[in-house]
Amino acid sequence: MRKHLSLGAVATFAVVALTACGGVQNTAGGGSDSGEYPSGAVEMPVGASAGGSSDLISRQVSQGLSAELGGSFPVINREGANGALAAAEVAQAEPDGSMISVQNASLFAITPLAVGEDEVTSIDDFDVVQGVSRDDYVLVASKGSGFTSIDDFAGADKKITYGTTGVGTGAQLACALTFNVNETPAEAIPFDGGAPALTALLGDQVDTACLQVGEAIENIEAGKITPITVFGPERVEFLPDVPTAQESGLDVEVAQYRFMTVPKGTPQDVQDAIAEAMQATFETEEYQAFNEQNNLTPMEISGDEVVAQLEEDTQRYADLVEEYGIDLGDAS
Amino acid sequence: MDFNAFIDGFAVVTQPTNLMYCLIGVLIGMLIGVLPGLGPAATMAILLPIAYGAASDGNQVAAIIMLAGIYYGAQYGGTITSVLLRIPGEASSVVTVFDGFALAKQGKAGTALGIAAIGSFVGATVSIIGLTLLGPIVASYALDFGPPEYAALALLGVLLVATVGNGNTVKALVAAAIGLLLATVGSDSFSSADRFTFNTLELQSGIDFVVVAMGLFGVGEILYNLEERHGKPHVPAAIANIWPSRKDLKQSSPAIARGSVIGFFLGVLPGGGAVMASLAAYAAEKKVAKDPSRFGRGAIEGVAGPESANNAAATSSFIPLLTIGIPANASMAMLYAALLVVGVAPGPQLIDERPDLFWGVVNSMYIGNLILLALSIPLVGIFVKILRVRPAILAPITALITILGVYTINNSVFDIFVMIAFGIVGYLMKKTGFEPGPMVLAFVLGSLVESSFRRSMLLFEGDPTGFVTRPISGVIIVFIVMVIALPVIQLVLRRRSSSNTPSDPSNPSEHHDQEAGVR
Repeated sequence: MRKHLSLGAVATFAVVALTACGGVQNTAGGGSDSGEYPSGAVEMPVGASAGGSSDLISRQVSQGLSAELGGSFPVINREGANGALAAAEVAQAEPDGSMISVQNASLFAITPLAVGEDEVTSIDDFDVVQGVSRDDYVLVASKGSGFTSIDDFAGADKKITYGTTGVGTGAQLACALTFNVNETPAEAIPFDGGAPALTALLGDQVDTACLQVGEAIENIEAGKITPITVFGPERVEFLPDVPTAQESGLDVEVAQYRFMTVPKGTPQDVQDAIAEAMQATFETEEYQAFNEQNNLTPMEISGDEVVAQLEEDTQRYADLVEEYGIDLGDAS
Repeated sequence: MDFNAFIDGFAVVTQPTNLMYCLIGVLIGMLIGVLPGLGPAATMAILLPIAYGAASDGNQVAAIIMLAGIYYGAQYGGTITSVLLRIPGEASSVVTVFDGFALAKQGKAGTALGIAAIGSFVGATVSIIGLTLLGPIVASYALDFGPPEYAALALLGVLLVATVGNGNTVKALVAAAIGLLLATVGSDSFSSADRFTFNTLELQSGIDFVVVAMGLFGVGEILYNLEERHGKPHVPAAIANIWPSRKDLKQSSPAIARGSVIGFFLGVLPGGGAVMASLAAYAAEKKVAKDPSRFGRGAIEGVAGPESANNAAATSSFIPLLTIGIPANASMAMLYAALLVVGVAPGPQLIDERPDLFWGVVNSMYIGNLILLALSIPLVGIFVKILRVRPAILAPITALITILGVYTINNSVFDIFVMIAFGIVGYLMKKTGFEPGPMVLAFVLGSLVESSFRRSMLLFEGDPTGFVTRPISGVIIVFIVMVIALPVIQLVLRRRSSSNTPSDPSNPSEHHDQEAGVR
């Protein structure tokens, strides 16, 4: 099946050795002093485990950069603290292009609503190079709950429960805002990520849940759960029949998007080289097919536009949360 | 049952890569089964990075097949040293020593090993068939397992691990309590409040279970073995005639059948597993025997029963892990970690979302056991020779692999230090008679108990009676009450009987504590 049938032990020793080298190389590689970028391996830490959408996107971008610029861009999983661990690593790296990272908007715009001030990651520590793509949230209801639209919530005879993918996530914010703006009595049940929340929804343990489209779409298409609304600025290409929250009369817009960041003060020519290579990658058929397959909507805007959007979102979320008295950090 | 998925599973296993990993897994399993001290959980801990490497090459299923092979392979290997050297290679082969070594002294080592291999194969195969039939049925109810059921089941698991496991109950409870405490480290997933993080980002997402397990099992075992096995000469008994006579076979068949059934059921229980199953099977054989005095002097049933049972249990303990995502014992906790490491979420969705993995792993056991049966006898001589490899050579190699390995999983130097710290803790625990198993399992189950309980209370809107009114969690709660009540009742009965004896009116509870404290 696979290209090689090498002995596990041999393969692993290679993996162990290679990764170990990648780990100690971070001061040596990448720098732009000689003008040519990259001059060595460029590390791309990602604040999520292997296999999730953040990881997959990083790997796809890494492949593209490697093809456009030459050199290698190893993706390194540094899971933890909603991505804050990886972010801290990038923020502290030499600003010479030897460490770059695709990061999530939620870490900067939503997580601060849930955690203490000293744990907040600030976008000011980074230069944003290029927007990547958007990953929409969808509110789904279990079959047993009988809900098919937001209007049905009014008829509920008890508190509606909603599963979220964790504290300080966009999924939690989207659901919390929906029920608060709609003035529906509801209770948040946080799960550790999308898969357990989906399982609970399938088993009718919770009435509704907010998930990323990619996590829910298979079961939506199989008719096992009912999509109620999406939270993007417009409908999602992959769920054309599902109205946006705005269309349903709720002033709620929450989206997760990802963008390329470098440590603050990275030379402009390095930033430009990365942005150009990424734009070239976005043009390839392979990359477009990847987006399609993972239900990602392109958001290939410039770094400045990303920052503007991020600032706007951060302010908007903070205002909304304040207006409705929502405390993301208190689900008990 | 989805018959197509079952058949497709065989297609998965027979891919050359997967077959190869299966072979490697059972061979390593058998090997470490022979080496006293190094258990399957420790080996899985040391080899997790290999699984990670294989998985990043796209061989996720192969990685899990290999680790599973280590666990059930070890059950075969453990017998060999029990019979030939009177040293149990595995905890689950301890009882095999009694009659196995006695048989070896009578020149019937071959018979004992032959019967053990056949019993192991039958026990395992019966159990795999059980797993094949029962797994999907359990999984089909898995969606009815909501937060209350998980909370109750995980709590039952912690209790059983601490009370029913082998060894000292008080010490196991202490270890489990520490495990529960460790599980609270990190950002609280309900309020994102920091708990015991000492303001470090590294601790914010909690202590990584994989790192803890690699430290406690991997490094801890390496250190402990280095000390334990220093300069022990091994003189194995000679082996003649492996094929058991018709009389031996006839005598052991009922024992094999009983052992298989006992093993299957004890393996499914949280906190159960191969060790408990082998003990129970030995006790059962002794009970049903016409002449119990033969036991300990070379009764073939005393080998056949426990050896069938430990293999059956090793196999059936995959059921709770693969169907609802709850590890039943320490080795399964390692496999749980392995699933996470290769990027598969263990839980009720596994069988639906990754039928290739579920059936690939289950069906690999049919083949793995065939390989083991075919190999176990001819390779005995080689394995016995391996016992002569000096720990001073083995230990540094395994230690190096472990340290490199833990780094590769999260690319974190911090993890290396955490692992070494837990390695030292594990070593000290073993030295002072504490088992690291209950601690690791309580660590995994602890966060499950806490988060599921709090989730349940949110769902119940603060009314805890919901736990007893839901059918599944209600039944589990009854079990929990029984597990807690049973020792108390025993204590009361003992107190009553001892107060009837005029010679010993002194404090019986003190007597109980002492008994628990010594061992």
